[in-house]
Amino acid sequence: MNPQEQINSKQYWRSAAERNGHVEQPPLPGVTRRDFLEAAGFALSLATLSGCDRAPVQYALPLANQPEGVRPARMRYFASTCGGCAAGCGLLAGVRDGRPLKMEGMPEHPLSRGGLCAVGQAQTLGLYDSHRLKGPLKDGKNTTWKEVDDQVAAELRDLAQAGGAVRVVTSTITSPTLQQAIDRFLKQFADGRHVVFDPVSASAILDSHEQTHGIRVLPRYLLDKAKFIVSLDADFLGAWIAPVEFTAAWKKWRELPRQASRNDHAEGVPTEEHAKPEVDMSYHVQFEPRMTLTGSNADRRIRLRPDEFGLVLSHLLQLVAKHAGKDIAADQLAEPPVAPAELQAIADGLWQHRGKSLVLCGVNDVEVQVLVNHLNHLLDNYGPTLDVQHPSRQRQSDDRAVEQLVTDLKADQVAAILSVGVDLTYNLPPDAALHDAIKRVPLKISLAERHDDFSKRARYVCPDHHPLESWLDAEPVAGLFSIRQPMINPMGNTRSALESFAAWSGNQIQPLDVLRAYWRDNIFPRQQEVTDFTRFWDRAVHDGFVQIATATTTLVFQKDTAKLVSQAAPLDGLFLLLYSKVAIPDSRHAHNPWLQELPDPVTKVTWDNYAAVSPALARKQGLVDNDVVRLSVDEGNAIELPVHVQPGQHDQVVGVALGYGVPGTDRFAAIGPQWIQSRPTVGENSLVGVNAAPLVKLADGSMQYVRSGVRLEKTGRRHTLATTQLHDSIEVPASTRPPGSHGRGVLVQETTLNEYRGNPSAGAPKEHPFADQLWSDDHPYPGHRWGMVIDLNACTGCSACLIACQSENNVPVVGRDEVHRHREMHWIRLDRYYSGSESEPDVIHQPMMCQHCANAPCETVCPVLATVHSNEGLNQQVYNRCVGTRYCANNCPYKVRRFNWFNYAHDDTLENMALNPDVTVRVRGIMEKCSMCVQRIQEGRIESRRLGQSLADGSIQTACQQSCPAGAILFGDLNDPESRVAQAMNDARRFRVLEELNVQPAVAYLRKVRNATKEEQGV
Amino acid sequence: MRQPYVTAMLVIGVLFAGALFAASVARQRLPDDHQAYAPQQPIAFSHRLHADELQMNCQYCHSIASESRHAGIPAGDVCIRCHKFVTAPFDEMHAEARRADEEKRQPKPVVSAELKKLYEAMALDAEMKPIAGSEPRAIRWVRVHNLPDFVYFDHRAHVAAGVTCQYCHGPVESMQQMEQFSNLSMGWCVNCHRDAAEHGVQGKPANPSLNCSACHY
Repeated sequence: MNPQEQINSKQYWRSAAERNGHVEQPPLPGVTRRDFLEAAGFALSLATLSGCDRAPVQYALPLANQPEGVRPARMRYFASTCGGCAAGCGLLAGVRDGRPLKMEGMPEHPLSRGGLCAVGQAQTLGLYDSHRLKGPLKDGKNTTWKEVDDQVAAELRDLAQAGGAVRVVTSTITSPTLQQAIDRFLKQFADGRHVVFDPVSASAILDSHEQTHGIRVLPRYLLDKAKFIVSLDADFLGAWIAPVEFTAAWKKWRELPRQASRNDHAEGVPTEEHAKPEVDMSYHVQFEPRMTLTGSNADRRIRLRPDEFGLVLSHLLQLVAKHAGKDIAADQLAEPPVAPAELQAIADGLWQHRGKSLVLCGVNDVEVQVLVNHLNHLLDNYGPTLDVQHPSRQRQSDDRAVEQLVTDLKADQVAAILSVGVDLTYNLPPDAALHDAIKRVPLKISLAERHDDFSKRARYVCPDHHPLESWLDAEPVAGLFSIRQPMINPMGNTRSALESFAAWSGNQIQPLDVLRAYWRDNIFPRQQEVTDFTRFWDRAVHDGFVQIATATTTLVFQKDTAKLVSQAAPLDGLFLLLYSKVAIPDSRHAHNPWLQELPDPVTKVTWDNYAAVSPALARKQGLVDNDVVRLSVDEGNAIELPVHVQPGQHDQVVGVALGYGVPGTDRFAAIGPQWIQSRPTVGENSLVGVNAAPLVKLADGSMQYVRSGVRLEKTGRRHTLATTQLHDSIEVPASTRPPGSHGRGVLVQETTLNEYRGNPSAGAPKEHPFADQLWSDDHPYPGHRWGMVIDLNACTGCSACLIACQSENNVPVVGRDEVHRHREMHWIRLDRYYSGSESEPDVIHQPMMCQHCANAPCETVCPVLATVHSNEGLNQQVYNRCVGTRYCANNCPYKVRRFNWFNYAHDDTLENMALNPDVTVRVRGIMEKCSMCVQRIQEGRIESRRLGQSLADGSIQTACQQSCPAGAILFGDLNDPESRVAQAMNDARRFRVLEELNVQPAVAYLRKVRNATKEEQGV
Repeated sequence: MRQPYVTAMLVIGVLFAGALFAASVARQRLPDDHQAYAPQQPIAFSHRLHADELQMNCQYCHSIASESRHAGIPAGDVCIRCHKFVTAPFDEMHAEARRADEEKRQPKPVVSAELKKLYEAMALDAEMKPIAGSEPRAIRWVRVHNLPDFVYFDHRAHVAAGVTCQYCHGPVESMQQMEQFSNLSMGWCVNCHRDAAEHGVQGKPANPSLNCSACHY
């Protein structure tokens, strides 16, 4: 068998059950004749009644005074800084008619480089959330700001005189101005301290640098400079520190040059004349206990128990030290859990790429992180790939300070506690002593946007603005200052934290004035380029950021002896690994239905967290998907969660996501359509998911997310997870296959770097020649012909495109029960295929949406011509013509059409403000699907006509393309040979899904190239 | 012999109910294409006066038409640009000025009843000064041209192609009260697009789309 066929013979599967051939089909609903007639009768009478609506008189209300530059119905983009997390990505906020509508990435931004993650884009829905607090509260009752300020000021005065301890607890704050406001506030007190508490902390990295470099700092990871990446449970493409920044940088070494296929060479041009472009890729090894998004994209993924990181790092350190000619004295190290030859190869690779390699570690354990620092130091990575001169400020939590705070609270040493941006009590392990202690604290103030666990215990709730409502700044990495500007007037009577702290420090001052004053005094003098502050400020607001050279201090690696970890804990028991999901980085985002319904990029589960176990462990314990298990760790805190069997997970590890079971998520109980058979979206605890924080341990100065000695017991109950894993299968089931056929061909294609170097078309299946065309070629594309190419080598599966599409195209949220019934409405489906063994599978991600086939099977079966082809190559769906036969969905080979089983739009008028006025809100009974953002095509075309210009390549971007952090999606005019998409269409890596059907899709993919040998791939 | 009475009573009852129903239906405007719809507006603005007698260009007030999907009803401050000075019909202002001249006094401000509504909305007093404590508010114009929610019409494209306003909106300059001239049905749109594809717009070649997704998305 030649190697090419070997790859093509790879079997892909999407879940453990599918691999083993017993996929549980959901039972058909038991509808009786009586039920049916009842429903039909109701439907008929309702249809009749709803048809009898009078045409309402409509009003048109122009502005009284139209501000300059504001044009009705035109989107204006403002540069700002994303407020989704502390990563500080550049944001272009689209505001239309005074409403922020669409969050997009800022291409000029040095960190995010044009991408924006799912969380950042879902901010709009968070803004129009009717559950946000509308004004200040005292003892749970509405009050006024003046009253709050007077009383808080009086209480603080007494406190200051009595010398009581004041603690401000915040999540990571990257804003220098807010930091200054907090510092000024705390300066009023003899014992005022600022405690930074991140629910998912990276404190160990900062602490380890304190040990090795003498400064508590988080280095900036320069993945674009790293050609050999070793990551130890750092999910840097998914949920770790700054995923968009890291994805954009990681992608740099995943880009391959355009190469024409061999077939094209054969057509005249001799191959030798083509200078072979340089083909180079980074090599990425991931050691991890659970299957993360990053691990699923690694060239080599090695399963590791959470306690084995120290041992593996010690071995690596010894091997690298040998290369460096240093002898790291070590007692006998235990046998590594990884094959020695493999470790040697990794050590050799690291050494070869010293200064161009990077070791990353997401384990919150100082001892392990010190080893990582040693390794990076030996490899000369400090400087080239790890920037400590311009460190990152994206994670600042200090677990020791948090632990101290808890001790102080329990000892009644704290007189006042203020929380900003983090829910103190939800995120800490629940502890009756702590809760009692908090009850005794005399002054408790919460600045939460919504009622959270701590704000219910707080005396005063002083709600902060939504990030889109307030002025603020950020310094995500040293020297990069960016501005966050308000996009809308505050919708409630809320107040920015900046203003609140200023007020409590004795200054009644507007946030903008605080900000300008800080910039004038602290940032403006640090640059020489602009001499006038107003010009400097205007430019900063216009661009969204300024870069300022920082004074560099040389940091010396101070610790030359490494304490190696000689042994992993010899445990046979189970380990618990707590992590944060891509869509829900912390509990504050749990109120966002878009993020809750986003299928997890790896597990494809929506609306719930779960206990992920490996297939082997599930077999051993007699567990299947959806069995509810009870997880408990020594001291008795236990939670009950449904099981999700996850291929690739370590057999001794149970993974549970944090950030679920958030107070207030009972609001989602009735989010889907309410009908006879609907089931609530919440679980038994009447919340979405279960809070796993009770299993976190705060001890020895760190938040411990790995717990050993976990007991897992079956409860006998079941909770069905709404997973989209096997929805819309393209595979033809064996029972319906024509005799003699083998089902579908390969859906995803991949090859290895070595193969690709030899032959750019490597990995392609045998061509299917089409001698007979069923369709006559009588549909010319005279003008534009829109097409799309998706580079699977860059796509990480992060699902940012999915939320971009949801926001742009008014895709409704349907709720857990409807997702379970295969009725999710997302226009993009992120197909995730496994291949290889259950324990160590390879993963490939493939965004799948309407392929806009030239010979579209859906078009021929529509009885009312509601789906027809445009002369620009788009498969158009005409909502007003559709009568809902669903023939088209049946005939679609890609299964990308979505049917509106209900009217999903609901009466939350505030939430409806997030709807895009340029796209029809679909009603019950009609079909919808990806339109290739035809509203954007129309806008681009009309605007170019208005300005009398021709349509430039790249001037129209689809929503998914715009926000893709990896830039994996190209869209443009295939009729323009100079366009990037047309050139990508000629690439040797290009393939189309189900090409053998001859439907001729307008969407093509570029083959994934793994930088791995075939042995590693398990072929 | 009560049977006929009962029947008669029932028939009368049904007729009465039918009449009530018909009366209630008659008051409602059933969905149709709204051609010739000319609702009463909150201010009796006359396009005939402005566009015909005063020869004002359409896009002087509807300036957004060339830049946005909507032609836009002008904001209140656009009206005020002229009506800061013109507070009543010319005849009345002129008559008052003459009277004042004869009586050797300052002319009194003459404000017409319709323009008074504008000043009230814009929170301006008789001397065109903002009234303290009062916010300008939008004027609640009744929308005349109204397409279904699944249709997207763009003024920009049509203005850029050289389609005159009157082509769709009719002789607006002769309308005392604005009314819908064309029926704005899909057939009417498509016919014009077909025609323009063949003959161009006012002698200029045009490239109108006949794709469904030109308007429906």
